Amino acid sequence: MKDADLAIVGAGPAGMAAAAEAASLGLGVTVIDDNARAGGQYFRQPPAGFRHTGAMFLDKDRARGSVLAAALRHPAVAHWQDAVVWDMPEPGVLAVAAGEGSGRVRAKAILVATGAQDRPVPFPGWTLPGVVSAGGLQNLLKGQRVVPGRRAVVVGNGPLLLLIGANLVRAGVEVAAVVEAAPIWNRILPALASLARAPDMLALAIRYRAVLARAGVPVLAGWTVTGAKGDEAVTGCRVAPIDTQGRLDRARERSFDCDLLVAGFGLMPSLELPRLIGAELAYDRRRGGWTVKRDADFQCSVPNVHVAGDGAGIGGAEMALLEGRIAARAVARKLGKQVPADDDLRRAWAKRDAFRRGLEAIYAPPASFLDLMTEDTVVCRCEDVTVGDIAKRRSELAGSVTQVKATTRLSMGRCQGRNCLVTLAAMVAKDTGVDMATIPLPRPRPPLRPIPIGDLAFEDIPPPDIPADPHLPRKQRA
Amino acid sequence: MSRIDEGLERGTAFAFTLDGQKVEAYPGETIAAALLASGVRALRRTAKRQQPRSLYCGMGICWECLVTVDGAPSQRACMTEAKPGMRVETQKGVGR
Ligand code: FES
Repeated sequence: MKDADLAIVGAGPAGMAAAAEAASLGLGVTVIDDNARAGGQYFRQPPAGFRHTGAMFLDKDRARGSVLAAALRHPAVAHWQDAVVWDMPEPGVLAVAAGEGSGRVRAKAILVATGAQDRPVPFPGWTLPGVVSAGGLQNLLKGQRVVPGRRAVVVGNGPLLLLIGANLVRAGVEVAAVVEAAPIWNRILPALASLARAPDMLALAIRYRAVLARAGVPVLAGWTVTGAKGDEAVTGCRVAPIDTQGRLDRARERSFDCDLLVAGFGLMPSLELPRLIGAELAYDRRRGGWTVKRDADFQCSVPNVHVAGDGAGIGGAEMALLEGRIAARAVARKLGKQVPADDDLRRAWAKRDAFRRGLEAIYAPPASFLDLMTEDTVVCRCEDVTVGDIAKRRSELAGSVTQVKATTRLSMGRCQGRNCLVTLAAMVAKDTGVDMATIPLPRPRPPLRPIPIGDLAFEDIPPPDIPADPHLPRKQRA
Repeated sequence: MSRIDEGLERGTAFAFTLDGQKVEAYPGETIAAALLASGVRALRRTAKRQQPRSLYCGMGICWECLVTVDGAPSQRACMTEAKPGMRVETQKGVGR
């Protein structure tokens, strides 16, 4: 068992910023991260074997990321790499699977900074090879410097699409179209005041738009993908406009050829750990759906557990950096350290928050993406459960996510529901005419991720107290 | 299906195999990155409907990119580093 003042789960923007802040305030910190290198998705670093010879477009934030990652080498910080937190067996204790390095850490406070994942939005053909999530594509580009196609279409909903389109163009890929569901051009004007609160971000968006315009890439706003084509891999896609009532106008469908279809329908917080420990949640569609309820110091309803960054509610990397620092300071303060006032950090946070609200107003989805699904669309990728499989069980649904789970095996596969539970919850909500916010998600159970059973053998915990077998002869019981 | 070379140098290329066929990779690359860079599409087939699947989330959470590595089934190609001489097999169902 290791000991720490603060245990941080996740080495992305929030986790790294918190580690640096906490260490500088005199706390002993343990950072647990499931990647080989620190950075998370936003500051993803290429493997150590790659040597940088000059800066190019994918290196925009690399210098900043390296400075943050360097903070994890502070003598007061222990960085546990390739390590998966799979349980909190008792308050303040985290169980960590990391091969031979598996074990537990006991901390006075815990900061959950587990980031976000792409919102899964099933549409016909979305399981075909060549259909890649927005986050996955960014990782391949930034982390591996690989482009998985020659001709791409970028579809979905949210500010990432313009960035991805621009990145693909700059990586030499032919981008046939960027297809954004929200009618963003009509919505920019009313949101301009909020957007201007973060001029740096606004300038970036304009730059991405310019890269696309120069390459002659059409940006279809108010359109959505309706299906991917192909048998063994994606060969094209269909897109259709969304009318003002939020209906798909399939009569005006168009199609594009492509061997890469990037699908990004926004992000949602990775809530497995908060859900496991029973943290109170709140439904906030604008921040990614289910979010963690927190106080002003980003502490959740479980005492001494803070949650910062996209893993609490979607706000982006800049907000995550600030939240990590504020949360680390709150912990340091509680542990009796001298801590400066947070006013400047909180003011910066408020600006980012205003920008976020502006973005959300522009990108609010104009339609229910459930309308994209057809009878044989796969909802649960792991267990191959389709809309039709679920519909067959409709009579026994009774509005319960748990019942569908039990009868179809949906969400019982390896990903443990990360890519299907929100779809099922939305289906149940629609079917029974209730609000998403009232649908309880089943509580995850440890292990939070599939882990090799052998890892448990390396845990440095004392053997449990097993009472002597009363059936043994008395002298053998000892 | 290509590597971006601008702004960095990769180490010395090595080979591993996919279903017996040679694939080139560079130190630090994941199995998935090396395979996608050389034009491979499907990484596995599902148990129930035998559908082709490949990298989707790219960050270790969807388990769609499962391959068998040196006989060990269900390894995530997007999280596993390619090594010289590795024997990678596309996976059918649960891989056993
Ligand atoms: S692509 Fe999702 S786990 Fe590898």
